[in-house]
Amino acid sequence: MSLDLKPKKWAGALREVTLGAGSRRPVAVGGGNGLPLHTFEAAFPHRPALALEITDVDPVRWVESVRQPWEGVLGRPAEAARRAVADFGADLLLVHLMGTHTDRGNRSPEQAAADVGAVLEAVNVPLIVKGPGAGQKQNTVLARVAEDCRGEGLALHSATNEDYKTLAAVAVAYGHALVGESPIDVNMAKQLNILLADSNVDLNRVLIDPLTGGLGYGLEYSYSVMERIRLAALGGDAMLNCPIVCLVGEEAWKAKEAKVPADKEPLWGSQRERGIHWEVATAMTLIEAGAEVVVLRHPETLDRIRKQLDSWFGSEPSHDREGVVQNSFRATDEHR
Amino acid sequence: MSRIIASAAIRGGHACVRRAETMLAEALGRHNRNTAIGFPSTAYALPIILALTGKRVEKLGDLEEAVGAARSWLPAEPTEKLWLPYLGGALDAGAATLVAQEAIEALKPLHGIPLEFDYWLGPTTDGILREQGIKLVDGRMPGFAACVGALPDDETAEQLARDLQERNLLVFMGANCAGETMAAQLNRRGVQMNWETFLVPYGPDTSSIVHALGFACRAAFTFGGLKPGGLEETREILLYNQRRVFAFVLALGEVDDEKYATAAGAINFGFPVIADTDIPEILPSGICTYEHVVSNVAHRDMPARAVEVRGVKIHTVEIPIPVRHGPAFEGERVRREEVAIEFGGKYTRCFEYLASRPMDQVQDGLIRVVGPEIGDVPEGARLPLAIFVEVAGRKMQPEFESILERHIHSFLSEPMGVMHLGQRDTVWLRISKKARDAGFRIEHLGTVLLHKLRNDFPAIVDKVQVTLFTESAGVEELYPTAAAAYQSRDERMGALTDERVEIFYSCALCQSYAPNHVCIITPERLGLCGAYNWLDGKAAYEINPHGGNLPVRKGDSVDPVLGQWKGINDFIRNASNGAFERFSAYSMITDPMTSCGCFECIACILPGTGGIMIVDREYAGETPVGMTFSSLAEMTGGGQQTPGFIGIGTIYALSRKFISADGGLARLVWTTTRIKQKLGDRLRQRCEELGKPGFYEKIADETVCTELEPLIEYLATVEHPALEMGEMV
Repeated sequence: MSLDLKPKKWAGALREVTLGAGSRRPVAVGGGNGLPLHTFEAAFPHRPALALEITDVDPVRWVESVRQPWEGVLGRPAEAARRAVADFGADLLLVHLMGTHTDRGNRSPEQAAADVGAVLEAVNVPLIVKGPGAGQKQNTVLARVAEDCRGEGLALHSATNEDYKTLAAVAVAYGHALVGESPIDVNMAKQLNILLADSNVDLNRVLIDPLTGGLGYGLEYSYSVMERIRLAALGGDAMLNCPIVCLVGEEAWKAKEAKVPADKEPLWGSQRERGIHWEVATAMTLIEAGAEVVVLRHPETLDRIRKQLDSWFGSEPSHDREGVVQNSFRATDEHR
Repeated sequence: MSRIIASAAIRGGHACVRRAETMLAEALGRHNRNTAIGFPSTAYALPIILALTGKRVEKLGDLEEAVGAARSWLPAEPTEKLWLPYLGGALDAGAATLVAQEAIEALKPLHGIPLEFDYWLGPTTDGILREQGIKLVDGRMPGFAACVGALPDDETAEQLARDLQERNLLVFMGANCAGETMAAQLNRRGVQMNWETFLVPYGPDTSSIVHALGFACRAAFTFGGLKPGGLEETREILLYNQRRVFAFVLALGEVDDEKYATAAGAINFGFPVIADTDIPEILPSGICTYEHVVSNVAHRDMPARAVEVRGVKIHTVEIPIPVRHGPAFEGERVRREEVAIEFGGKYTRCFEYLASRPMDQVQDGLIRVVGPEIGDVPEGARLPLAIFVEVAGRKMQPEFESILERHIHSFLSEPMGVMHLGQRDTVWLRISKKARDAGFRIEHLGTVLLHKLRNDFPAIVDKVQVTLFTESAGVEELYPTAAAAYQSRDERMGALTDERVEIFYSCALCQSYAPNHVCIITPERLGLCGAYNWLDGKAAYEINPHGGNLPVRKGDSVDPVLGQWKGINDFIRNASNGAFERFSAYSMITDPMTSCGCFECIACILPGTGGIMIVDREYAGETPVGMTFSSLAEMTGGGQQTPGFIGIGTIYALSRKFISADGGLARLVWTTTRIKQKLGDRLRQRCEELGKPGFYEKIADETVCTELEPLIEYLATVEHPALEMGEMV
């Protein structure tokens, strides 16, 4: 008996967003016209991009097992960036300016811009730059970074419904992309995109961060919100069809299961393995839900996910003539 | 448009263009056409000319085309015989004036006239634009005031500057009045003028005002991503300014032709003019959001009036009260032994009343305590209190009064050490000793309301004044008015039927977890969560047109009994992502509305009784249908259409439209005592309206039985009308 597949055709498709410009080797994401990984019925010009998170200061709260691969470069963003790209093979980086938080060092906007500048010097992949969290400080920090790094096509993380005007204005002014963050809520995600569009931000330069929990900590909630966002996008909703970015690492490594040492819970096994599993499981789930960019912390996780994506999408990404990373994939015979 | 203004503006435009032509001709006589021209440190050439003509002026020769364009926009100079100028002509003349003035400013250095001297700062560099312009765009700076001319004396000038600074408004100064300038006046008062103090003197000539408008154009280029080009692009740039850059012109002192012309230019950007002299007014809205020219405004009222006319919204970041505040303190109780002062409860009369007023009858920010303050009475005193809030707003409607009034509770619960319970005339309010010791006064209740109302409802509230009566005479005098308002609001709400409106409101706030669910809220059927009625939906849309509540036009009736309309069904199809074709407003059997999961109650059919039961969320026991609330909720929720099961807001049971297609309230055979208690007399009254004697008593509850068999027996015994109505399906 043969299974007769009836491919589902959708009215809409995802926007394609290109991250990185200027001295960056750009990475394009999104553009698919079907449900995530439904390669048997839809075309996906780009496979999900894998980012690693680096920080401006030593992230003291990171557990030992995720600090270990970064030994010697934590708090040295340029060196960490080099390692992330050259040794670990990240497609792009998220530079988390956590040290600019008033409670975690209160680094100045100028220092932050210098940090990002150093990373730009060190590597040529696109950057997502994450501020210390919504508020006036984040706005001044990211506005300065955006101005000093104009033309590099950064993705600024993040604008929210309550506070989007500053980042929208600087993204427009200095040619950057923008991540809009909404609290696991499809309506808020849509409202924010409407507001951004209304502020003259080109939605082809916007990523949605739907906010996620780690496995066991509300992941399923994020999953269904992302599914909902994607269904709306494919249904033709032009205000929800931006690619999705998920900050997986920070959630996965917050989980108790990643933090508890093996001697406290002997039955749980190796803490390192557990943490990586947790991050892999979280990331894979979110990729299945439609994440086009996942931000990870452990290089081993990135490696495992890369292998899985290779097995689905066929080959390693190659570069086309313009230098845009082409990790295109269309349904091939072996997947039919 | 006023003929006087239009004629003056056109005359002024002609004069300016002539002056620019003369200066240009002279400059061309002495300099090469390729002589570089422009303002220092900007990438936007001459920004107004760039915005209005799409052309970059970088060389002296380029100015010919720009000034030529200005000349071509000028309508004929009005004479006694010819006066058809009015709006279009005046606006064109205004645009021509700005181009000519910018040309004049750019030509000044070639004529040996400096742009920057003494305290005059001249044109703004891009660096400052990037730093300050973004504040205008992201709202940190609510807007800018372009002050044209001078004040009658130095002291008034300083006062005006301080008043504008206090509102965080950027102050640009330019032009003179018979040689006197506002900047000179401030300078004599020793006031510092620079970009740090937000007091920016551009230049003593009227033409220097173009630097303020050029600043606005460059903000649109930089932060709005707008590109110069043809007419369409120009229109976008002007609209951007109208919508985002909350600027206005303060015309100080005599207004001559050139100033009229400049004002007409500013109106192109949507920037209105507020004058201290008795010039003709232009009140209807059109290019500007509200009025275009408002005159004869006293100097001390100018900032407030300007903010109002331009529709500037000022957000208070930190509410100035001496205690901490926030939702975290909302549930806080102030115990008897901690009470510094107390109002209401069962001891004294205490009520709150919010009324809307015309704009000119509310003095924004006025807070008065009429009667003793906290320090005037012994500790633990019980006083009467009337919290009388008067609001005004361009988009305020009397219908929103009750919605705003309902928020008084959460607003006054937020300061630490203040306990607020109840609403309307059932209020009980306590202020703790700690709060009093920290400096909290009765007056601060008004402070909180003032800022919260303005901050949380900027779309509908522009002005707030609060009067707190703390002595019997004032409280008793106001009370009848308040009581009459409560009653008339209730009556108005009661008279609001589905037939009398053309628009219902949708609510999609729950789609995150019930992806295909959407509520349709009608005047006679509130949202199933019980939190949103039709008026709330209307206000929510007014406040946030991009939010979860949208107006839905009913359109043609499809079935008046079921409550189906074409407009609603079309909307449902789209909003449910194609999952549903039709919704009935009045049936739980045929195409019932879906339920998310937030319903206050579930109504479901009870087979064998011909009736239904209503069970509330708090009820944990068994029900006659053999399921608890939580098992029922699984069947009902999740955005499914499950005939026979609907989630409802409790008070929908009181509506005349309550499942009216299925037989209405007479179908109710069982409910919980909690619901009976909550609906109380209103339910009795509705039962009596049905004209079925003793009906209320026939509705069973958990004290009668919690199983189906005994319920059927009971219904037979009491002769419940549902038995006669036949099965529902």
